Amino acid sequence: MDDQACPRCKTTKYRNPSLKLMVNVCGHALCESCVDLLFLKGSGSCPECNVPLRRSNFRVQLFEDSMVEKEIDIRKRILKDFNKKEEDFTTLREYNDYLEDIESIIYNLVNNIDIINTNKRIDQYKKDNKELILKNKAKIGREELELEEILEIEKQMEDIRRAEVLRVEQETKKQKIREKEALIDELMFAEGDAKEILNTFSQNLASRQEEIVPILPKVTQFSSGVKFSRGSGQQGLPIIEEGPLYKYEPLAIPDRCGPDPPSLQDIVNNGYLKHVRAETETEKTGGYSSTLPCLRALQDALTGLYHSS
Amino acid sequence: MERPIIRYEKIDFLGEGQFATVYKAKDIKTDKIVAVKKIKIGSRFEAQDGINRTALREIKLLQELQHINLIGLLDVFGQKSNVSLVFDFMDTDLEIIVKDNNIVLTPGNVKAYMIMTLKGLEYLHQNWILHRDLKPNNLLINREGILKIGDFGLAKAFGSPTRINTHQVVTRWYRSPELLFGARQYGTGVDMWAIGCILAELLLRVPFLPGESDLDQLSRIFQVFGTPTEEVWPGMKSLTDYVKFKHFPAQSLRHIFSAASDDLIDLLETLLALYPPRRCDCTQALLMPYFSNKPPPTVGPKLPMPSNIPKLESEKPSLKRKLLDNLDGGSLAKKLQF
Repeated sequence: MDDQACPRCKTTKYRNPSLKLMVNVCGHALCESCVDLLFLKGSGSCPECNVPLRRSNFRVQLFEDSMVEKEIDIRKRILKDFNKKEEDFTTLREYNDYLEDIESIIYNLVNNIDIINTNKRIDQYKKDNKELILKNKAKIGREELELEEILEIEKQMEDIRRAEVLRVEQETKKQKIREKEALIDELMFAEGDAKEILNTFSQNLASRQEEIVPILPKVTQFSSGVKFSRGSGQQGLPIIEEGPLYKYEPLAIPDRCGPDPPSLQDIVNNGYLKHVRAETETEKTGGYSSTLPCLRALQDALTGLYHSS
Repeated sequence: MERPIIRYEKIDFLGEGQFATVYKAKDIKTDKIVAVKKIKIGSRFEAQDGINRTALREIKLLQELQHINLIGLLDVFGQKSNVSLVFDFMDTDLEIIVKDNNIVLTPGNVKAYMIMTLKGLEYLHQNWILHRDLKPNNLLINREGILKIGDFGLAKAFGSPTRINTHQVVTRWYRSPELLFGARQYGTGVDMWAIGCILAELLLRVPFLPGESDLDQLSRIFQVFGTPTEEVWPGMKSLTDYVKFKHFPAQSLRHIFSAASDDLIDLLETLLALYPPRRCDCTQALLMPYFSNKPPPTVGPKLPMPSNIPKLESEKPSLKRKLLDNLDGGSLAKKLQF
């Protein structure tokens, strides 16, 4: 382990025991301080292979061999898209071929063999199977959610059980102390033979212990706090509440301080448009119309005519 | 002069865009929660023209616009060489709601969103302004369920007979075919197309036409609506960036939106008409039967919200309300019943 060294600043594990090597998608290692220094702006390129990298993709190197790290990265990325399942194939043979395809793609990418063609292959696959990929992703997401829920329920049950055991233990301890005290009290104040008292007490104790059958902690399966909304996958449809139906109300026109401008209809019918440059074909086909400037100009002209300071 | 810097107390960082950073802040004067959009200065090259163009547009236009369905510009203040705009604080936006798988959107919800959007846009168009960047991300919603159109960085006055506009507006997925063909003179149609795409997205819960490039966008549009001919779209060939496309047959919208009602399909068809003059405007859209038919639009407070935003407790009548009721004698007779 001691020969671990940062390839940039040459710091070794021996000189700096807290040295942490980080790797990114290209598989080249850098120490933490070099990452901080080089990727101050959030992105930069790998000092060894000049591949543009992002700071957020750096993570601690877990394996000594950085090739393993690289492969893990690539595998993660590839499997995100190559997420077909056995159900998606008609025969086992096809599924196996598919799995082998994935492996060869990953192998190519890890060992820098024919990268361009492999990437093309991936893109092609992505394009061809776009919908299936999306569907499977959603499916996986749902399965994960369900798993999480099950785990949560288990955890809660465990907690309840532990609390119950603890409570029973404490109870028995208290009971013992109480009995001891009672015995001593009896010995102190009773006027009988000490030996007899001891005997009756031990008998009592024995009989009671038989009575106390350890109460098994009852596990309530459906405790509160578990969210069942997601697990069942079906959310109760929201109640359709009745409200008032919508009725269009024209916008309130602010006080124009002037005579009402002619409406669009007036403009078209009363020949206003003759005094405006007609729209060209290109303008019209783009959605422009000579009524627009005409209407706007008339509105502008009439607004504020009555205004007096 | 009042020192405005002290007036707003930063609470939280909300997000960062290309031109600005947005913070959640408290207005100390009125105790209201607001959003403060701090315009980035940018490099020296960008700064030599003075204040950033998008910010200028927002200030210029929003100052004069007042509508419940448009984001309100409350204040503008400068601090050193920075400019900050103060807006109404909005809890979420339509993009988040559409993408949230835990939210079920009922037909009533969709109708409510559309009505609010169209009302805001109607006001905007009536004041001769095109928004030019309508998308779910810019339709902001607060916890009272009120939708407001935001981000006026691309908005511009329209209806001038001489002015040439750029066609490089609107996020590609919501861009209308005439813009994609390079039209320099256009009208309200560009906004109406975007509204149509948003409505489709509300129904499908995924972007309706997610084109990967401008050409891909056009071919996706034509794959759905059919490649237009000279009859469908007269004069189309005179547009600057016109390209001839392979012939695609038109698909029936009913097959794509299988769960939509007939009146809704009608609305979609007029919003997404290829020939811009045939597209309806906001007033026409709001007058269509879809909006006045059943089901009724959901009332504001009952609209769904992402789970991380606490819902407004509208059920609990406030103390003030109770007191007022009592003043008037309340709705119940003050009779003791045994």
